[in-house]
Amino acid sequence: MSMLSRVAERVYWMARYIERAEDTARLVAAYNHLIMDIPRGTQPGWEILVRILDADVVFDEWFKVRNEQNVLRLLIGEAEAPCSIPYAVQAARENVRTTRDVLPDEVWELVNELYLYSSEAAEKSVGRRNRQAYLEQIIQRTQVINGVLRSTLCRDHSYRFIKLGQLLERADMTSRIVDVGASDFLAREGLAEGIEHLLWGTLLKSLSALGAYRRLIEPQVEKNAAVDFVFMEPTFPRSVRFCIREIREELGQLTNNKDALRTIERIRRKLRSFEAINFDQPALHGYIDELQLLINDLHGAIAETWFLSSKG
Amino acid sequence: MKSRWKNYRASDYYDELITAKGTPRQVARPAVKLLGELPEDDLDARRAAAELAIREMGISFTVYSEAGNIDRAWPFDLIPRVITGREWTKVRRGLEQRSRALNLFINDVYNKQKIFADGIVPAETVLESSNFKEQCMGASPRFGVWAHICGSDLIRNRDGHFYVLEDNLRVPSGVSYMVENREITKRVLPEIFKDYSILPVDDYPSQLYRTLAALSPRDRKRPVIVVLTPGIYNSAYFEHAFLAQGMGAELVEGADLFVDDDDCVYMRTVDGPVRVDVIYRRIDEDFMDPEAFREDSVLGVAGLMRAWHGGNVAIANAPGSGVADDKVIYAFVPDMIRYYLNEKPLIRSVPTYLCMREKDREYVLENIGDLVVKPANESGGYGIMVGPHVDKATHRKFARLIEKDPRNYIAQPTLALSTAPTYIGDDIQPRHLDLRPFILQSRDTWVTPGGLTRVAMVEGSLVVNSSQGGGSKDTWIVEGRL
Repeated sequence: MSMLSRVAERVYWMARYIERAEDTARLVAAYNHLIMDIPRGTQPGWEILVRILDADVVFDEWFKVRNEQNVLRLLIGEAEAPCSIPYAVQAARENVRTTRDVLPDEVWELVNELYLYSSEAAEKSVGRRNRQAYLEQIIQRTQVINGVLRSTLCRDHSYRFIKLGQLLERADMTSRIVDVGASDFLAREGLAEGIEHLLWGTLLKSLSALGAYRRLIEPQVEKNAAVDFVFMEPTFPRSVRFCIREIREELGQLTNNKDALRTIERIRRKLRSFEAINFDQPALHGYIDELQLLINDLHGAIAETWFLSSKG
Repeated sequence: MKSRWKNYRASDYYDELITAKGTPRQVARPAVKLLGELPEDDLDARRAAAELAIREMGISFTVYSEAGNIDRAWPFDLIPRVITGREWTKVRRGLEQRSRALNLFINDVYNKQKIFADGIVPAETVLESSNFKEQCMGASPRFGVWAHICGSDLIRNRDGHFYVLEDNLRVPSGVSYMVENREITKRVLPEIFKDYSILPVDDYPSQLYRTLAALSPRDRKRPVIVVLTPGIYNSAYFEHAFLAQGMGAELVEGADLFVDDDDCVYMRTVDGPVRVDVIYRRIDEDFMDPEAFREDSVLGVAGLMRAWHGGNVAIANAPGSGVADDKVIYAFVPDMIRYYLNEKPLIRSVPTYLCMREKDREYVLENIGDLVVKPANESGGYGIMVGPHVDKATHRKFARLIEKDPRNYIAQPTLALSTAPTYIGDDIQPRHLDLRPFILQSRDTWVTPGGLTRVAMVEGSLVVNSSQGGGSKDTWIVEGRL
């Protein structure tokens, strides 16, 4: 059975927003952990999260001072801010609301419950006391939704576009999480010294990758090996390489896939030469930026080929 | 019985569950007993559970207001409305008969117009109505059926009989709430089903599928059926999605469809164009095809009427069906039944005064304070005046409206809508209600067992529309002996 272009577009965005909610929660949770491990007095600011999520402009619209409270209000407390978790969940819900007919019933109910939770608990979860529990709830609930999709959806176009959205967003967000560790200010201020293992351990943990890393690489987390793992590990489902490979597979089953596959080849070439040891911190940051631009091009190619909004 | 029920007074209307003596009707006895025996805090917990279920299931409707459109949770009252199977059989037969006659009438109007020639219905009342669509003349949809889905509003009068108040033949809504209400009752009052055999209602989407599939112009095992919605901001969007999902059909908007040079309708998919056989339209016909109707419509599909006239696509309800969904035409339905079917009407209609008739108009203007005055073409309870409930200034205002445009107004006696016990805050009080069953017709005719019961939540009010603060109840058709 085929699929309406409009519906393909909406389930794709649903998946992207659910993944974005989950990954934003993972990112904030990781940073939240990290900040508590850094000695008092030398604590870095929270604005790095704003920068990593490309949310500077939005932040300035809402707040003046870049302190912990405001950054967390932006990412958790403000349902209207396009980079917040409740915003992503609400956007996912709108997309499910308009595609309920192609999704299993439970998905609508679960997304709706997630929406009620994420918006109702948001306000009181900005402070440190409830923050972690809130983020864990978001991660858990999004995982349940993904589980239902995996275990009940037929492997047809709806599943395919959901997967494309999810994998593309995940590749993008994974690279952003690495960017926390690659950010210049940690290096510049010497903050990472002595806690580097902790830092990268925490980042791996935020991707649920710590255990796998320990088994496959080594028990002690080392920066370059961790970056390589997150970017390149072929068996780890959140690695950029894994995501790109899966996207390529899904694209292979669609008609008119030439443009999208060409962009995929560009990303693969970019990844192929990657080895963290060749990059100092500014260079790594630059590399991640370029990678994100390529991922954005991939989205462009998908939208251009299969979605209604770009057909006019 | 607990105090909440003890204090219940059914007033002087017909009450669905409680007799004038204050005892439960036989069919309602087990339900009233169970509800009455539940401790108050248990009942409150169940009411809360029902509300939560509605929120979590995301059952909602949209209210249009000046403050913006609000998505509201569906208002549901826990106490069911109970009707015996024996009584329902009579109603069902009456509705089937009515639907057959209405469809014969629509087909006649757009083809031979025998009913005008035979002087049963005056031609000008039909041809001058804004519901009559010139663009549909000469069309002959399959089985001669135009209105495949009809939602008829019934009320039970003081005499205990059901009356048809109106027939909604354009895009009647509410059926998804009928199904969801049952779902909620099952979740929060599971014990109650032990004592009853209640006819299931969740079969509706498959019955609708059957009705629509029979219309397909191509002979295929699985015709391509789509539900055409105006989009997410429509008040019934929830229902459009519900039905599409229930039928395994595509939910489409105008922009998803196009008519090609071969006068067939296609939908835009990720694999390219796919031909559509049947369109269940949930948009008003005026917005359906900018070529044939309103040019400024952005919701519709250009060329749809061409495709329909060419027999390349079926549209349900067929454009033009609204010609029989008119409060003036309503007055003639009993005559139609006798004329087309040569049968006696099996279900009652409400006596109706047509303001276009001089004698009727005089009567209406003289007795306006006792009558309900309705515009002929509005739906959703808008623009209705209930004489006894408003002041003299409003009577005068409506008298002027009638004199200015008599064709557009009808009047009926104020009906004594039946009541049923309803939770109001902590109390149980009588509230007026109506009933909207849905009648499906294509190759054959099928009626929902029961329908959607709507409740006017304001004391004494007769306005049951959800857009105006109405609530709803699960409606049971109970089979066999209790």
